[in-house]
Amino acid sequence: MSLAIKPAAPSGVEALARLAAGRRQRNLVTVLVLAGFCLLLLLLSLGAGAFAIAPGRVAEILLAKLGLAPQALLDGREALVVLNIRMPRLLLGALVGAALAISGALMQGLFRNPLADPGLVGVSAGAGLAAAATIVLGDRLLAGMALKLPFAALPFGAFFGGLVSTLALYLIATRNGRTSVATMLLAGVALGALAGSLTGLLAYLSDDRQLRDLTFWSMGSLGGASWTKLSAVAPIVLPLVIAVPFLARGLNALMLGEAEAYHLGIPVQRIKAIAIVLVALSVGASVAAAGVIGFVGIVVPHLIRLSVGPDHRLLLPLSALGGAALLVGADIVARLVVAPAELPIGIVTAFIGAPFFLWLLLRRGRIAEI
Amino acid sequence: MLPSPQHLPSPAPRSQRRRRLAVAALAGALALAAGGFAVSAQDNSAGASARIVAVGGAITEVLYALGLQDKVVGVDTTSQWPPEALKEKKSVGYVRALSAEGVLSLRPTLVIAVEGAGPPDALALLRESGTPIADVPEAFTADAVVNKIAVIGKAAGAAGPAQALAERVREAFVALDAQRARLPARKRVLFVLSTQNGRTMVGGRNSTADGIIALAGGINAAAAVEGYKPMTDEAIINAAPDYIVMMRHTAAHGSSADELFAAPAFSQTPAAKTKALIRMDGLYLLGFGPRTPDAARDLMGLLYPEAGIAVSDAGKAYAAP
Amino acid sequence: MGAILEARDLAFSVRGAALVRSASLALETGQMTIVVGPNGAGKSTLLKLLTGEIAPSRGEVRLEGEPLSATPAWQLACRRAVMVQNQKLAFPFSVYEVARLGLEGVGRAQGRAQKDAIVARALDTAGVIGLAERQYQTLSGGEQQRVQFARALCQLEAGRSLAQRQVLFLDEPIASLDLCHQLSLLDAAREIAAQGAAVLVVLHDLNLAVTYADRLVVMHEGAIVAQGEPSAILDDELLRGVFRVSLSFSRLPPAGQPFLLPQQHLSGLGSVVPMRAAGG
Repeated sequence: MSLAIKPAAPSGVEALARLAAGRRQRNLVTVLVLAGFCLLLLLLSLGAGAFAIAPGRVAEILLAKLGLAPQALLDGREALVVLNIRMPRLLLGALVGAALAISGALMQGLFRNPLADPGLVGVSAGAGLAAAATIVLGDRLLAGMALKLPFAALPFGAFFGGLVSTLALYLIATRNGRTSVATMLLAGVALGALAGSLTGLLAYLSDDRQLRDLTFWSMGSLGGASWTKLSAVAPIVLPLVIAVPFLARGLNALMLGEAEAYHLGIPVQRIKAIAIVLVALSVGASVAAAGVIGFVGIVVPHLIRLSVGPDHRLLLPLSALGGAALLVGADIVARLVVAPAELPIGIVTAFIGAPFFLWLLLRRGRIAEI
Repeated sequence: MLPSPQHLPSPAPRSQRRRRLAVAALAGALALAAGGFAVSAQDNSAGASARIVAVGGAITEVLYALGLQDKVVGVDTTSQWPPEALKEKKSVGYVRALSAEGVLSLRPTLVIAVEGAGPPDALALLRESGTPIADVPEAFTADAVVNKIAVIGKAAGAAGPAQALAERVREAFVALDAQRARLPARKRVLFVLSTQNGRTMVGGRNSTADGIIALAGGINAAAAVEGYKPMTDEAIINAAPDYIVMMRHTAAHGSSADELFAAPAFSQTPAAKTKALIRMDGLYLLGFGPRTPDAARDLMGLLYPEAGIAVSDAGKAYAAP
Repeated sequence: MGAILEARDLAFSVRGAALVRSASLALETGQMTIVVGPNGAGKSTLLKLLTGEIAPSRGEVRLEGEPLSATPAWQLACRRAVMVQNQKLAFPFSVYEVARLGLEGVGRAQGRAQKDAIVARALDTAGVIGLAERQYQTLSGGEQQRVQFARALCQLEAGRSLAQRQVLFLDEPIASLDLCHQLSLLDAAREIAAQGAAVLVVLHDLNLAVTYADRLVVMHEGAIVAQGEPSAILDDELLRGVFRVSLSFSRLPPAGQPFLLPQQHLSGLGSVVPMRAAGG
């Protein structure tokens, strides 16, 4: 027998059920539209670029790769451009975009603040420091061993730096198994400042060449995408995208506050710990593969919340799709606008993201307490 | 059940916002499609003759000097001489931030790249595509310049003319050596890259500035540091340069000789007594290409006016205050 | 059956200051227990100790015989629901979504239609079903409180199938409500108690407390100074000592409903002879 919750007037329950069903339908449409949009951008990315290839030819190359057309079609520069330049590039863009957007949504859920950004946690700064160290000191260290710096050193160095800064952060902010969000935020700021100053020191010590490299790296680029890099990043980002919806319930409950979430039966400390680690891994991997790309973590979750609401069950997967679409789209712009040269992608996302961020600040009070 | 009057205005229902977003998205996609394929539809038909992409300022200079400019289809952003290079030819970006697809889109038959071009991923992709890449070693000496010209000429299939040009340049260097030997006491020269943000960046040993100073018969006053590094005020005074050399287009912005020597560090140098500041065009001075012997001789003439070395018109023009 | 919740010799201090000193009580199903006391008496702290939110410095709390500290959060959530004060949300949830949050933990196994039904009924009981599609942010404080009440009800309903007996905790649930809604919320709470749950409410309003309580718990400076049936434990001396007000305790016909009237405000020194109230 149910509790004293009295049976509501039938019209009330029905009306509510109808509203809920309508909402679910609209959400489904949004999901399909976004997925379709993402797919469209992926195809566009495959077909557009500085190197002119007819769409028909692109299709031929794809079919040949899948084994559905004669292999001879795979000869020539066009196939190389499509399969070894554009394909890994758009896949990396999609993965990095998804990772950055999800990390943003996770951070905002964790801090219960719409302005929280993965960069706050200090992971980007740590990865940046490691990259700077690799650029500036790597040659020097290895010169003594008469070795040349392997190409993959930079991404792996950056990832390692992100991981170390996350561990440091976690150790500082966790006492007796309880993670204090406020402490973590402050520790993240402090670690970020430390990493920033050490990076500045390295820039000071660098020569002109290295300084240029550092500058370009800090503006982000998908230009270095290759199948090798992809095989290093995908195993980290794909599980993230898949595992994250399992956190959805916990994050929803966390919106009410940690004490309340505990009352609702959510393992709060565990959720927080998992979320932190996932954010660190995904941001570290993204920064390692593509340099520093900002604003994706703020812009995308916000737009998604505006259209389907803050329920993490929808927010997280849709942020992944939206982030992928944003970055792939930004990359198309970066590649075409000054062809045959290319713009660093961080500039394009900042160009989109900064005005959006300002608009967000200006309209506060209408939607959320910021 | 209590009736609830909706006396508070509610924000735009989500369905409306969603519709707006969808329309915007569709419009955006179509615009992108139009734009993307428009660019792709550019005519990149390759001619039967050679198509060379030059990556590195000196490379471009040599190619133009050899009369091969018609074969050049793309240059990087450091190719500032001759001025028409960047204006007429397509830019492939900064020498260390190339785009593989961008370079390939010019359908090059040959890429000539100075040592240190990058990123390594892009060069690897170019090699994978079967595009020949000629690596040109970089160093800041007379022999290196002569060698550069020979290597570039050979790669571009103009070995003969390149030999001739290299020979002329070598002879110019030999003449320069003779003039240098006749110089009286050597002067101390400090190359200042910039004085922005109160930080003075100088050219230490093993930098391009070091190379040209040596060729011009000067002593690098900043030999204590390696490469381009900041130098403290005290160190500048210790260095006691007789001349300051800067790049003409440097934004020591509006830093005329008066302003420069007003700064505490510089005011205590021997150079301050005669306001001895020389400004020359950056690529001319530091490019280490075919014009280097002229640049070195011009610098020598400016450093040692008593030696009576004729400074070329070009040198004078570049040595604008 | 024994008491569903038992607290023995609870104490809680922070940096040397004792917020709760030696509190012991038991909650029985079917009863509505109301905790009263002046500001700083430790009522909210006691509530947090009983819900498991904070661990006591001394003593223990047992729910269904098992210590709280040893019970996983999920199991606790089936057995007890909590409504607290001042819930601000940083993101734009609709009222329906907020109430539905009550089902994120224990309500996992429910089907979609069942979940909708539970939410609808809870919203109706709390009197906010007409606001279901409104943005939570745009509601008044009182309306938001009622939505939180609905959320607690959802959790309770969902846990019902998994736990034999349940407890509902309400921390000052009527603080921003107008009189009509105060009464209807407390009526709903009493109904829930009558249906078999144990209900514990922290209240400020003495008259409402005295009206609705099956058991009254009076707290003063961190200790429980009296607990039991309202008319049995309340007297002038207790009221003066705890609330520093002279109150007359009367009974209204025909049912003899207890009623408290303030006579004079005590400034701290000296006492005033209490006048005998008419009737009673």
